[in-house]
Amino acid sequence: MSWKSKIASSLLICLLFLTLSGGVIASQGDRVIRPIYVITRPQSSAPDEYETLSYLTAMMTELGIDARLRVVPWEQQSDLVWFERDRWDIAGWQMTARPERLDPDEFIYNLFHSSTTVDGYNFIGYVNPKYDAIAEAQRVTVDPEERRELILKAQEILVEDAVYDFTVHPMISIVYNTDVFAEDSVVDMAGMGIRNFWTYINIDPIGDQKAIILNSGETVQAINPFYISGTVDSWVYELIYDRLMRMSPEGLPEPWAAESVEWLSDTEVQILLRDGMKWHDGEPVTAKDVKFSFEAPMTGEVPMYKPFVDVISRVEIVDDLTLVFHLKRPWAAFEAASLAKINLAPEHIWGPLFEDLKTRPENAESIQEDVPIGSGPFKFADWKFAEEVVLDAYADHFAAPKVDKWIVRFVTNMESTLGMIQNGELNFLASYSGDASLLENLVSRNPMLSMVSSVDLGYRFIALNHNRAPFSDPAFRKALVAITDQEFVVEAVWKGYAVPANSVIAPALEFWKNDELKWPQGGLEQARQFLKEAGYEWDNKGRLLYPSGQVEEHTPSF
Amino acid sequence: MTLNWKYIGRRFGQMLLTLWIIATILFFVFRLMPGNPLTAYIDPNFTKEQQEILLEQFGLDKPLFQQYLVFLLNLLQGNLGTSFVYRDDVLRVVARVLPNTLYLMLFSLIIAYVVGVLGGILLAWLRGKKGETVGIILTLFTRSAPQFWVGMLVLAIFSFRLGWLPSSGTGPAGVTYASEWAKFTSPVFWKYMLLPSLTLAIYLLGLPLLLMRTNMVETMEESYVTIARMRGLSERRVMLKYAARNAILPVVTAMAVGFGYAIGGNVVIENVFSWPGLGRLLVDAVTMSDYPLAQGAFLLAAAIMVFMNFVADLLYSVLDPRITVEDMG
Repeated sequence: MSWKSKIASSLLICLLFLTLSGGVIASQGDRVIRPIYVITRPQSSAPDEYETLSYLTAMMTELGIDARLRVVPWEQQSDLVWFERDRWDIAGWQMTARPERLDPDEFIYNLFHSSTTVDGYNFIGYVNPKYDAIAEAQRVTVDPEERRELILKAQEILVEDAVYDFTVHPMISIVYNTDVFAEDSVVDMAGMGIRNFWTYINIDPIGDQKAIILNSGETVQAINPFYISGTVDSWVYELIYDRLMRMSPEGLPEPWAAESVEWLSDTEVQILLRDGMKWHDGEPVTAKDVKFSFEAPMTGEVPMYKPFVDVISRVEIVDDLTLVFHLKRPWAAFEAASLAKINLAPEHIWGPLFEDLKTRPENAESIQEDVPIGSGPFKFADWKFAEEVVLDAYADHFAAPKVDKWIVRFVTNMESTLGMIQNGELNFLASYSGDASLLENLVSRNPMLSMVSSVDLGYRFIALNHNRAPFSDPAFRKALVAITDQEFVVEAVWKGYAVPANSVIAPALEFWKNDELKWPQGGLEQARQFLKEAGYEWDNKGRLLYPSGQVEEHTPSF
Repeated sequence: MTLNWKYIGRRFGQMLLTLWIIATILFFVFRLMPGNPLTAYIDPNFTKEQQEILLEQFGLDKPLFQQYLVFLLNLLQGNLGTSFVYRDDVLRVVARVLPNTLYLMLFSLIIAYVVGVLGGILLAWLRGKKGETVGIILTLFTRSAPQFWVGMLVLAIFSFRLGWLPSSGTGPAGVTYASEWAKFTSPVFWKYMLLPSLTLAIYLLGLPLLLMRTNMVETMEESYVTIARMRGLSERRVMLKYAARNAILPVVTAMAVGFGYAIGGNVVIENVFSWPGLGRLLVDAVTMSDYPLAQGAFLLAAAIMVFMNFVADLLYSVLDPRITVEDMG
């Protein structure tokens, strides 16, 4: 073949290739990333979320993405994120502090294990078998040091995969009246602030007023040891009902109604009850009551507490004050998630009620006693519906509170609470969702008020839907993380009342928190670097394109 | 006058039809709204199985139309269902807060209508003078001022600045009234009710005042008023005995309707003063997607309102013999 015909034939082959591949190789147009809707709650109801996501939207636009902020009410947002998992791209979200979340299991396992992608809390659709293995292993590793290694590793993987675009841990700021209470008598609990169980039993009245009067924006829905209802409900039943263990101010489970908790083996836990405990009606608290309290949720009548007792195969009574819990398998979080979670309820009251339920369609959640009887440091006194709940100190308790009464008032007008803490209608401002700098201002003008700010166990983040490209790509997620300038969010959005977050474990949980995480920051430049390395390109209009060979497969979410 | 039973029967039928339509709209509105009662229970520990148990408990696992039929059937038996949130009978939940709403509403209505009627007479008396202009401007101002703004203003002055009156609730922290009657007769309770009812009265005042004034101005043109004047009766006697007695009729019926509205509670005032009433309950129920409670409470309020409208119609014909029920049919 002559050189001419060689050229001619190679040209022909090229032509043929181009013709054939025309339909296969995407044009640049198909590689343009679709308009991305960034979902946030309204500025009026969630100003911090709205401002953070507005900022992200602007930064994404800089990056060449057609990002559009979409404001929807919480009901619609949660509906979309939770029930339509393949329909959204980016949404603001938050996890709040609860005592049981002091154990890392809930955040490490439930949020990211692949088994919870379909209908559990892994609504972002994160799937990583390597992570799954670690999340599973930490569950059954009873030795704290060994488990700690796994928890540290898990946090590292979450950062490598940029699963969430974390923003901040907010500060919890709580104001109380130092004319009424001794200043050093409040307890700052790790990640929970001073609004907690330990404060309520320790706070020391120094004047004539012996009642702690606090506020809540929400009302109490139920006072029932077998029903996990609203947040403020939990403040109430935590005080009325004792538990075998409680989460300590440092965030670790410690014996409470139990004198001692001893692991006989990986699946056997022996409990020795405190001697002399009495229910609020005077009856003694016995091992039988404890057995009853843990076995009741195993029936179908207590659906919400069932997950916390599922691991128990049987509860053995050794004597009046001694029990042994036999577990189906080792469970590292057993102390925090079960022993420190299950409310102790008197069998002589609830036994007959459960008998009754067997023949009725309702379950135990529908029962409301007129006077709930527990064995905790406070006993029920009164509940004025939608107005207040009053508890009296239980003087016979082994940790009897120093105040006479604990009163929570349901105040719907948030602005009003600022006036009420000044004129004495309240003496402990337990919930305030407004601007923290206003609080600070208030405290500086009133010498009798004091404010304690602590870093929240909970955190805010920007949820990225891994079920939909380009968010399925860790490099793309890292780019978004890089453009979310956390310092800026802390200063501009939170006015300094927050700290940057980089893990589901709060800095307050010193034992579990991984301090060596390398959180990708660096702004637009770093983001472009991440994207280039992963093959993303920009067209001549500056629009971001998928890596060569990848085309847009999803339609915009709105 | 005689009651026209046929008319009353027809009016009653219309009332039932209205209520059925309202019930239907309420049923579907809440279910088609974004949001889901389960989102209130979104929790990492919440499994699919538990969700299904809840759905079944709430009766939400059945097709919408079947739910609707069950709802209507229950309604006919006077059963408004069980609140998702409080796990209690809707009527029982409503009954806990209804008295507070009624006290607040009735007290404010009485203040507003007494002051309104007297104010209306006064303005009619001052017709053409400067006082009338000032009065009308003031009335329009109170009528248009947003309730939450007036509420915050009185709170800032009387509770937080002067410290004279409490700012929220129906009683001091930790104090329980022995009974509903003890509460109603306690001066402490009235002290707590003063600010919210004052705020509400300021808002309600405009309607009776302006209505009374207009009617007075009209009746004062009537020949019997002129004759009374010609007879040399004192101006006060003419105003009160002749003009006002006739001018008050529409105000009375307006008040009957006002009572009806009052049952629904006042969302804004109840929230500003953290008053444990029906208006607040309704808002909570809607935000928590507690369908049975929200629709039950709305329905109850609507029923009473429709009924009071009906009463107002009848009252009108009873009070004014010139109007016969045929005219109104």
